[in-house]
Amino acid sequence: MANLFPHLLNGLSLGLLFALIALGFMLIVGVMELINLAHGSLFALGAYFALVIIAPDPAWLGPLGESYHALPLAARYALALLVAPVLVGVVGMGLELCMRRTYGKKAEYGLLLTFGAALVLEETIRVLWGPSEQYLQVPRSISGAFLFAGLIYSKYKLFAALFAAAAIALVWLFLERTPYGAIIKAGAHDSEMVRALGIDLTRLRLLVFGLGAGLAGLAGIVLTPIWGLRPHVGVDAVIPAFLIIVLGGIGSFWGAVLGGILVGVAVGLTGAYASGWSLLSMYLLLIVVVTVRARGLFGRKSVLEA
Amino acid sequence: MAQRNLTRRSLLKQAGMLSAGAAATAFMGPWRYNRVYAAASDKPLMIGLTSDASGQYANSGASDRRGMHLAIAEFNKRGGVLGRTVKTIHLDTETTPATGSRVAERLIARDECAFLIGAVSSGVANAISQVAQKYGTVYLNTNSSSPTESGKNCHRVKFVWDGNGTNFAQAAVQNAIRAYGKKWLLMTNDYVWGHNTSAATRRLVGRYGGEIIDEILVPQGTRDFSAMLLKAQQAAPHVVAAAVGGDDLKAMRQQVAQLGLGQKMAWINNQQDWPDVYGLPLDNLFGVFGTTWYWKLDLPGVADFVKRYQAAYPSDPMRVPGNVFYNGYMATRELLSAVERAGSTNNRKVIQELEGLKVSARDRMQHHDAYMNSATHQMQQTIYLATANHGTKERDDMFKVLSQSSPEEIRDTGADAACKLESLADTPTYEM
Amino acid sequence: MAAVPTVASPWVPRGMALLLAVMATLPLWVASIGLYQYLGVEIAIWMIYGLGFNLLLGYSGLPSFGHGAFFGVGAYAFGLFQAWAFESLLLGMALAAVAAFVAGAVVGCFLSHRRGIYFALMTIAFGQVFWFVAIKWHTVTGGEDGLLNIPRPALELGAASVPLNSNVALFYFVLFVLAVVAVALWRLVHSPFGKVLQAIRQNEERARFVGYNVWLFKWAVFALSAAIAGLAGSLFSMAQQSAYPDVMSLHASGVIVMMTLIGGGFVSFWGPVIGVAVYFLARDVLGAVTETWLLWFGLVFVLAVLFRPEGIAGAWQEYVGSVPSAGRRNRGTEAPASHIER
Repeated sequence: MANLFPHLLNGLSLGLLFALIALGFMLIVGVMELINLAHGSLFALGAYFALVIIAPDPAWLGPLGESYHALPLAARYALALLVAPVLVGVVGMGLELCMRRTYGKKAEYGLLLTFGAALVLEETIRVLWGPSEQYLQVPRSISGAFLFAGLIYSKYKLFAALFAAAAIALVWLFLERTPYGAIIKAGAHDSEMVRALGIDLTRLRLLVFGLGAGLAGLAGIVLTPIWGLRPHVGVDAVIPAFLIIVLGGIGSFWGAVLGGILVGVAVGLTGAYASGWSLLSMYLLLIVVVTVRARGLFGRKSVLEA
Repeated sequence: MAQRNLTRRSLLKQAGMLSAGAAATAFMGPWRYNRVYAAASDKPLMIGLTSDASGQYANSGASDRRGMHLAIAEFNKRGGVLGRTVKTIHLDTETTPATGSRVAERLIARDECAFLIGAVSSGVANAISQVAQKYGTVYLNTNSSSPTESGKNCHRVKFVWDGNGTNFAQAAVQNAIRAYGKKWLLMTNDYVWGHNTSAATRRLVGRYGGEIIDEILVPQGTRDFSAMLLKAQQAAPHVVAAAVGGDDLKAMRQQVAQLGLGQKMAWINNQQDWPDVYGLPLDNLFGVFGTTWYWKLDLPGVADFVKRYQAAYPSDPMRVPGNVFYNGYMATRELLSAVERAGSTNNRKVIQELEGLKVSARDRMQHHDAYMNSATHQMQQTIYLATANHGTKERDDMFKVLSQSSPEEIRDTGADAACKLESLADTPTYEM
Repeated sequence: MAAVPTVASPWVPRGMALLLAVMATLPLWVASIGLYQYLGVEIAIWMIYGLGFNLLLGYSGLPSFGHGAFFGVGAYAFGLFQAWAFESLLLGMALAAVAAFVAGAVVGCFLSHRRGIYFALMTIAFGQVFWFVAIKWHTVTGGEDGLLNIPRPALELGAASVPLNSNVALFYFVLFVLAVVAVALWRLVHSPFGKVLQAIRQNEERARFVGYNVWLFKWAVFALSAAIAGLAGSLFSMAQQSAYPDVMSLHASGVIVMMTLIGGGFVSFWGPVIGVAVYFLARDVLGAVTETWLLWFGLVFVLAVLFRPEGIAGAWQEYVGSVPSAGRRNRGTEAPASHIER
């Protein structure tokens, strides 16, 4: 039992990170009924933007370059956490503008467009930053290790899990406690109603896509110090993301969070006791859950099924 | 052996003339091409480059390719090979075996390449070599270090230039048991390369009196190693021998570095490819690892080689060459030299030249003479063990070379038993 | 609204006969246009795969993003049969199709009561499971190195034995299989079965109310489509003389969807055939010119989805349709037309 406890704890922190990865995906699929296959590329893009914000080429900034680099790493890192997701959000909005042509057509077209966009984004990253492994610096205060009950844990991992929890809470507050959130939720349930209420559905979609993309980018920045960074890193994010959403139920916020945590615990425990199966465990979990509960843990009937 | 003086195009034209019977002849054969191409001396010598440009090994593939290009450029500067200019065509193998097959078919059939060079992934190398064997086309596997490449999946037309997992394990295990202790934990990527390498380690640990206390399997695609690293801590081994590769290794590196586990336990890693680690913080280079070459080896020729690299690729973000570049360069250079010695591009003659290949330590820029094992077609060469070079001022001087082993000390004896080369007579012949 | 063709279709449409005839002469001119025979083999195999896949996607409106699994099952089944039992072409292919059918039938049980996004997502999940097993179970599959040295058994026709070792010979054999599959599928989609599938695609509820057992139809078409993928997979393992897990990856499964749609699978029987040819040729030609060919291909693909979502076949129909000659429109392309408006 004493041996099990660290693994449960580890699984939980892993689960929060998985939930963070799925958050942006959840928002887009919930409101727009669109599987955003570019989620992974946006995830990667966030990390690459952060890379530039933390250590820009001094030549770009001209005279400002030196003083910018003199800023403490923590400040530049915090700036990256704020700005890079916004930039990714802008890219996401650009993608949404393209998406508009596919609205009202078969859902597959939207899916295909994001598939193509994922290709284009990933290849663009490869051209701009090269294929090699990149390294994202993190401030000293959140790097390194700490000892707890005789075992070494990563400080960054703890930070990342707490950060993920905070991000999840913020998104929840946004959805529950702000008028925008109310509109988004209404849009998710009944777009006709939203339109009838005189709310601009076009702008709502733009906003939601931007927000979802931004969250993907944020997850990318948070995960990069753990996963490393390379142009195709997004593939590692998009598959767990969709899996968690199906597990939790499409359109359900807490479904996504619980799905993420379940996947994290499953991966964490199998990683310790049957490590050869640790990746497959999430698929088996999904198949078991969905066989019993057709629409996932908290899923409702979706328009997409028609 | 009936050798007709035909080009492939004229062969195809003939088939066309027999149009009604074209299908029939195709079915009847003879399909084992025994080809002699019009090898006019002014015709450029085509070489197909099959290194990856996308996927997991894109970065190593690019480095590999630069090595080949430099060797070819140096030959062309001296007037080519047998008086013919060497030309190359590159197709992306996408780190995908199925693509490797298609690319090999195309380079041989359409582009009439005399030789194929390049691979990092063993799956891709296998796929290419199977096609190459079918046509008899000589193929150089420059950088795939799976023991199966010169073992059960060896081929008469394939030559392997990198040290393999067994070689690196041979170099490391005995010393590590002596230095760190007998309780070993294996961390093994759960796929063929990982299992082969861990089996070699297991054997050697047993032979030198060590004990394997556990083996943690790492599925391919693992990005979070926290559970496995906790497990490793709980097991408290003297040595962790990791056979984890590709992107998995990159992720694991970051996480071991964060935990500072690189200093807390003795780690034995397999080969660390230079393009994978270049530019990373030194903490990411944990434990002891193998390499076939390092740009700061104190040997004649090395400094000049680095200069030639920098002159050829002035804007490359990788400012010094590494083992992957080195293998690509050496393989290509030795192939072209073999063609010159054979005085012909006839594949059988070239194969025989390569099988008898001996390269002096000086020419290899390694500590020992190297030679081709004619039974397995793997280059037998010096293997170095290295570790992170902490405390250096020079940014690119990342490795501290700890030891070097001669080819005899690290010989992969398993490969000799596992490899059954096709006979030369069963290998189609051609001359381009 | 209904896309059911009004004109009784001919047994073998003229377009199909023409296509097969042109392909049959391919070995004579393939080199002179700068291509090579092996590419023809792969294209013909993927056409089989695509035609079977479009039964699901275009005709039944069931987007499978894990179809590579069945292609892979067929490839492995063929290879393992040759290695474990004995060398036999037709038995091996039959076994491959059966194995893929069984795999599809099992997966279909989990999928057939699902629709839309849930269907797509579950196919991804199952596809990943198959892919993972292919890599993990390396004692059987050879793991990421693949199952190697798969023979190309000769075609035994009574007393005669036709070797398929050359790419030309294999090409003709694959072409023959393509012809059989194309005719069979053409008949199938114009049979009552095919009409029910289209009815399900257009409105599953309505089809159910009319009295069809929708679950059974979806299950049957899924398993059938899987079997065709498996058949194509067996041919692919012969072409490559190996079977690799990569063909089962999400990426590879996405590619067949991409090809089918870019060709116009939603509006034409021939969509996947066109799409496969275009994709393979683009990859081969662009790939030799630039290392960033995927970027360009991705851009073209995005533009195609934006501006020509019905694919190449759709664009062609539009072009032909704009020519005011009645009757031309229905020739050979009277597969499902019109989108479902949500």
